Amino acid sequence: MRRLLAILASVITIGVGLVTIYDLTIGDGALAAAFLRLAAATLALMIAAGVINLIIVHVGRILRLRRGWVYSLVLLISAFATVGFWLAGQTDATNLLLNSVQVPVESALAGLLFFALVYGAYRLLHKRFTWAGLLFVIVLLILLVGALPLEQFAPARQIRDWVLSVPVSAGARGILFGIALATIVTGVRVLVGQDRSYRE
Amino acid sequence: MSLDQIGLWAGVVFTLMIFSYLLGDNFLYRLAIYIFAGVAAGFVFIVALQSAILPWLRTTVLAPNLGVAERAFGLTPVILGALLLLKISPRFGRLGNLALAFIIGVGTAVAMVGVVSGTLIPLANVTADSITDDRLSAVIVLIGVIATLIYFMYVARRIPGQLAPTGRRGLLVQVISVVGKGFIVVTLSALYAGALLSSLTIFSERVAAVIARITGG
Repeated sequence: MRRLLAILASVITIGVGLVTIYDLTIGDGALAAAFLRLAAATLALMIAAGVINLIIVHVGRILRLRRGWVYSLVLLISAFATVGFWLAGQTDATNLLLNSVQVPVESALAGLLFFALVYGAYRLLHKRFTWAGLLFVIVLLILLVGALPLEQFAPARQIRDWVLSVPVSAGARGILFGIALATIVTGVRVLVGQDRSYRE
Repeated sequence: MSLDQIGLWAGVVFTLMIFSYLLGDNFLYRLAIYIFAGVAAGFVFIVALQSAILPWLRTTVLAPNLGVAERAFGLTPVILGALLLLKISPRFGRLGNLALAFIIGVGTAVAMVGVVSGTLIPLANVTADSITDDRLSAVIVLIGVIATLIYFMYVARRIPGQLAPTGRRGLLVQVISVVGKGFIVVTLSALYAGALLSSLTIFSERVAAVIARITGG
């Protein structure tokens, strides 16, 4: 039975994958679109199941009075308030939650990232001195100084523009080519049945 | 106080609660994070329901004048979802692999076609077109792209007489990959600089918003 399920899983992956590629490239795309809609609906159901699991986990923490249960209570209240306002059709309250909780907290967290990045750059040179680390910091300083809107830093701005349009462009294209080629290689491995990690 | 004003003050309070992390992990920061997680989970649930699950059910299972086959097709995500949920069971977990296999099959195909038509062909065209603009820059870009790609070439050489590959690259590949590493470092540095400037901009905007609210500006 176990072997049969494994073979069936491989057949489904290879069959669905090849049919989708054929339909996307040569066919009219209708079958691929149906498969995509099916996968999207399944993933949406799984996301909803994930949220329900989160609720169950935090209810369990509250019932067992585990450490930090107050935070779990706060999380549940905010989650139920969000869904409750939406179910009750209170668009103003839902928008208020979005604009007064979601956006400020996300922005503040992104702002906190600044301190983490500065500390990371400091540690890069402090921990170990390598030519790559030195090049990293020199380019970083050039790009930051070049971003200053001051007349005195006009030469730095020219260097910055060149760095962004030539070496950075080359590196970014190389990395993107690498990602694209690796995606194709992995895809081919899955479609010829060499990569069967989904059967474990 | 109007609802808008309450919202603005709440935004300021949440911003200060998050910034309190600069003094160390504390109760206010954790409280803000848990409220954020709760609201985010609520919104994720709403978006999944509103933009994917309900439209799917309305156009398939609940749609009028549809045949049995269409309605059965509409139930397929529910069956696939149920199979995926079985993954948590040690006994029936392998049944979940069937749903996973379907999603991986579709995902692989879409990723492969997308990467060829959306990344490889446009990037190759742009790189080839840039040669006509500025010769020196174009040569540097070409060298950079090739060297960066070679840096990621992890192919070990088999030396005669040894059973296992040595993991050592040839001298030429080593030299080219050092050049590639340089280009990668410059690119990552540029991304780092971009992230620094963006986060600094967001941080200053938040600080300005807090000061404006407190001073009534």
